[in-house]
Amino acid sequence: MLEIHPSYPALASLIEKYPAHRGSLFQTYNDILLAQQWRDVQVIDLGDCRRGALRGKRPKTATDPESLLHVIPCSLAESISMAWIQNVFSALDNPHSVYLAVVSDDSSIVYYKLSPGIVKPSI
Amino acid sequence: MKGRIPIRIANKRAYIWDVDDLDKVRSEHHICGLLVGTLPHLSQQNVFLGLPAQLTPEEATLLVEKEYAVFVDDTNAYPEPSLSQFQQWNAEQKRYIEHQRAALESENVKSSEVAQLVVSEEAVRKRKERELRRQQKALELRRLQEVEGDGAVHAILSQPIPTPSADVQALFSDLRPTTSSAPAQYNICIAASSSSLEWYSPESCSYSTIDAARTAGIWDFPSNLQDRARYGVFKDLWEQGYFLGGGIRFGGDYLVYPGDPLRYHSHFCATVIESPTHTIRPMEIVAHGRLGTATKKTHLFCGWDDEKKTVSYVSIEWAGFG
Repeated sequence: MLEIHPSYPALASLIEKYPAHRGSLFQTYNDILLAQQWRDVQVIDLGDCRRGALRGKRPKTATDPESLLHVIPCSLAESISMAWIQNVFSALDNPHSVYLAVVSDDSSIVYYKLSPGIVKPSI
Repeated sequence: MKGRIPIRIANKRAYIWDVDDLDKVRSEHHICGLLVGTLPHLSQQNVFLGLPAQLTPEEATLLVEKEYAVFVDDTNAYPEPSLSQFQQWNAEQKRYIEHQRAALESENVKSSEVAQLVVSEEAVRKRKERELRRQQKALELRRLQEVEGDGAVHAILSQPIPTPSADVQALFSDLRPTTSSAPAQYNICIAASSSSLEWYSPESCSYSTIDAARTAGIWDFPSNLQDRARYGVFKDLWEQGYFLGGGIRFGGDYLVYPGDPLRYHSHFCATVIESPTHTIRPMEIVAHGRLGTATKKTHLFCGWDDEKKTVSYVSIEWAGFG
């Protein structure tokens, strides 16, 4: 059924390459594009991390709308590690932060901001 | 070893017993410890605790490793006193008891004066009236028994009734100062700190390194990977100038303060992750991240690499959307 969805063509190559993560990639892509209204959303291959990720900009109304942000889809049932997080940062050329999209079976998604190092809470 | 703070070890737990040492450890070395001492006769109260301060294994290990403190095996720091030491101690005790006796005697004079004031003339008159009434009642009862001729009751009542006046007199005589029968009571004072005892010799069982203390069998932290990870993270954050507290209130291992916890709120709640490959479940990120953001704290994942002996950090916050 995935194949007839309008989002499929943009995701097709990574869905075929990493079938284990197609669910979380598909849900996150749709949520970021349609619900969060991000702009210029691109799908990227994380290579060594063996999964796809997203890159885009927040809506024009957001603070700092022009910064390019990264979203890593991940299923709630997965197990990750510090090394995994480190690899993600390396694959993206060490951005100052990434958003981890945690996708549950019922397709609800939460986003958490991961930053390398000790970063003070934003007020 | 001179000038280093003694950390007394009992049952593999580390304590600081001197308030000046505690002050120094906190203000100069950014180590807080936790006051755990309570009052001997009110051991249930835990609102206001005092000395000793108990240090966490990480805190104690760090202070020794940085050469600010030494471990003292307190159990073995009290060898058997020599005869002369014991005699001296005994003489001091006797002097103290004599001192108490002298003090008590002068106090007795005062208390009897007070007693005389309390028993006013009015009270004495009333008491006499009461005594008189009771004596008359007893007399009447005895007459009644004699008339009825009840043998058994008669036998009991015919016994001399103790006159209350005699009791009262005894009471007064107790309060009167009598030099001949000075009370043979005295208090024995057991000082909270026994480090002033002549035979206390901490030098013979002090250990200035963790290895020496481990060999002596009084200390065994850090003993496994989990301990090494906890200590590695603790030390790394401490070296960056942070104060560290217990993280249980926010579900982490440490709370990380930018300065003394009495002056600052913590900015971070830290979780120790034993190795780069140690499993992290996304649910942990959600739970820690959301609680941290709600309490104005960033959650820190502190990853320990036991081969490189390094710590890497990842800060977690709620994204603000979704």
